[in-house]
Amino acid sequence: MDIIIIDGLSFALPLFIMAIGGIYCEKSGVTMLAVEGLQGFGAFVGAFLAVLVAGNFAGDSPIPFYIAMIFAVIGGGFFALLHALLCLKFKANQVISGVVVNIMAMALTAYLTKALNRVLFGATSDKFVLTVSARITIPVLSKIPVLGAVFTNVYPFEIVIVLVAFLAWFVMYKTRFGMHLRACGDNPHAVDAAGRNVTKIRLAAIVICGALSGLGGICFAYSISANFSSSIYVGYGYLAIAALIFGNWRIMPTLFACLLFGFARSGGYRLVQVLQMPSSYQDLVMILPYVLTLLLLVFFSKQNGAPKALGVIYDKGAR
Amino acid sequence: MKQFKKIFQAVKVPLLAILCSLIVGGIIIAITGSNPFRAYYALLQGSGLAPKGSYAGHKSMLTDFMSYVNYFTPMIFAALAVAVALRAGLFNIGVSGQMLAAGFTASVIVGYSELNAVIAKPLVIVIGIVVGGLAGALIGFLKYKFNINEVVSSIMLNYIFQYVVSFFINTYFVDPVSRQSKEISKASRLTLMDTMVGDLKMDIPLGIILALLTVYLVWFLLEKTKLGYELKAVGFSRSAAKYAGIRVGKSMVLSMTVSGALAGLAGVTYYLGYVGSIQPKVLISTGFDAIAVSLLGNNNPFGIVFSTMLITMIGKGGTYMKSAAGVDAEIASVITGIILLFSACNVYIKWKMEAKKRENTSAKEEK
Repeated sequence: MDIIIIDGLSFALPLFIMAIGGIYCEKSGVTMLAVEGLQGFGAFVGAFLAVLVAGNFAGDSPIPFYIAMIFAVIGGGFFALLHALLCLKFKANQVISGVVVNIMAMALTAYLTKALNRVLFGATSDKFVLTVSARITIPVLSKIPVLGAVFTNVYPFEIVIVLVAFLAWFVMYKTRFGMHLRACGDNPHAVDAAGRNVTKIRLAAIVICGALSGLGGICFAYSISANFSSSIYVGYGYLAIAALIFGNWRIMPTLFACLLFGFARSGGYRLVQVLQMPSSYQDLVMILPYVLTLLLLVFFSKQNGAPKALGVIYDKGAR
Repeated sequence: MKQFKKIFQAVKVPLLAILCSLIVGGIIIAITGSNPFRAYYALLQGSGLAPKGSYAGHKSMLTDFMSYVNYFTPMIFAALAVAVALRAGLFNIGVSGQMLAAGFTASVIVGYSELNAVIAKPLVIVIGIVVGGLAGALIGFLKYKFNINEVVSSIMLNYIFQYVVSFFINTYFVDPVSRQSKEISKASRLTLMDTMVGDLKMDIPLGIILALLTVYLVWFLLEKTKLGYELKAVGFSRSAAKYAGIRVGKSMVLSMTVSGALAGLAGVTYYLGYVGSIQPKVLISTGFDAIAVSLLGNNNPFGIVFSTMLITMIGKGGTYMKSAAGVDAEIASVITGIILLFSACNVYIKWKMEAKKRENTSAKEEK
């Protein structure tokens, strides 16, 4: 039981922060399917920096991880500018733009990982090897029955994510900027009439989305895979999008959706272990989050709370 | 002449996109210290469109070309699948998954049976159409009935197909040496592999005939039938189409079914033609590259044939480019990505071009 909670949380929280990024972008009225690519590119930049500086620190030093985190945020935000350029400047179809950003991210990171490994480290490798982040247990709280598992064997990034998520929630719902952002998704003309620049707000939302996706990506790289390679593109970004749709574009329900995915996954793995099934059954368990997404969408998509201007290219002259 | 001008208008923007991407790609290759012209020429050589320096026994430019045709046949189907869905304003990003589902089902039912070639080959094609069509219809149905975004549902299905197929392969059909699924029977294979023609040993892809026929059929469906017109109307504006009495839901489900069936054909020509076995846990990139191909071909079936040849040339020639010009094969997918990037801006480029033209004519009138 404890293991299910521990593993479930460490999967759900990075997913959650990526979903929050998606919410920011979509709430501002820009369709965001590029989370997958953004998290991968962010993780790539972070992992590269971590490998670059790793030699200067002791093997178990957590500092490269924090450096990786910061640069993953920067890298994700930077790559999101591509989506912004296509959607806001070139007025491309936002769905197509999202797919383009994903394909670009996969192609670029695969190429650059290989090229950088060869040029800088003289190695023929298509991955950056990272460590698995150390885990911490919070002394008193972890002794609480059942719920104590939430505070046991926690990755440090989970704490960071919770803090960032709270900040993101606060900005979205309690500040003027958040209100303008949400208005951009429902009635951009009203925002314009109120004297705000719709394009600028949407640009900010896209960059925030990239930054948060990058953060999520590097957390996956430091926990599940312990390296950066093209194996980072296994659909976490799309899962995050499913979570936010399922959470009706609101942050708290989305958290619930992410937790559900996380526990379904870790619970399934545990089941395979407990019943001592052959390892190929893990493949069957792996489909659980996806089947669950589809089923839940069947029930919840009807009461669709999508922003009204989502995916509509803003045209100042249109009435 | 008028016809020619019309065609030129249509290909102007894609050509510009290709040119820009080749220049950008060339700059990247040059930065990494290789000669871009040699790299691009190697792409042609690798696809059998230009002679190589030397050939192994029983091989020539023609055999290279045939293997290139074998490689691009599935892509034609896949790109048509994307184009048909896009016509109705739907985005089928699940082509890869539908390909896998169709390819796997056909492998299990026909590929591992004792059927002779005359029955097996048509049966493979029928299974491909049916399984792909069902998968597509499911996505269309979910969209129509439950308002589930087709992008999300097709991606979820991609993963589900991938893991389920991987489970069955690893449990029942695995070849212990190659760690892939067991190779299918020769009779069921849609490509005649290593066939001696004169002195040459070549792969003869039978699927290409079907592919070219399908290109014409899809064009006919989209441009000359009522259904095609309705799909287009739905794609332009759902509410306007509804107001005009078109049953939007039916159109969406139908277009996804046709799209899925085409993806199924892509699947059988890939898994039971080009490769002959299935690698577990891998979703091939054909379905995603097909989006680029379709966009580049203006979503026009005939345009798709040319854009398929171009994009697959980059993929197919990539391996030879690595050995001949020392350029990483991964750069090929970067170039594909850049082409896609420029073609995504096509609306803007077209609009800019027209705006300039308008400016010119109005300036002339003022004089």
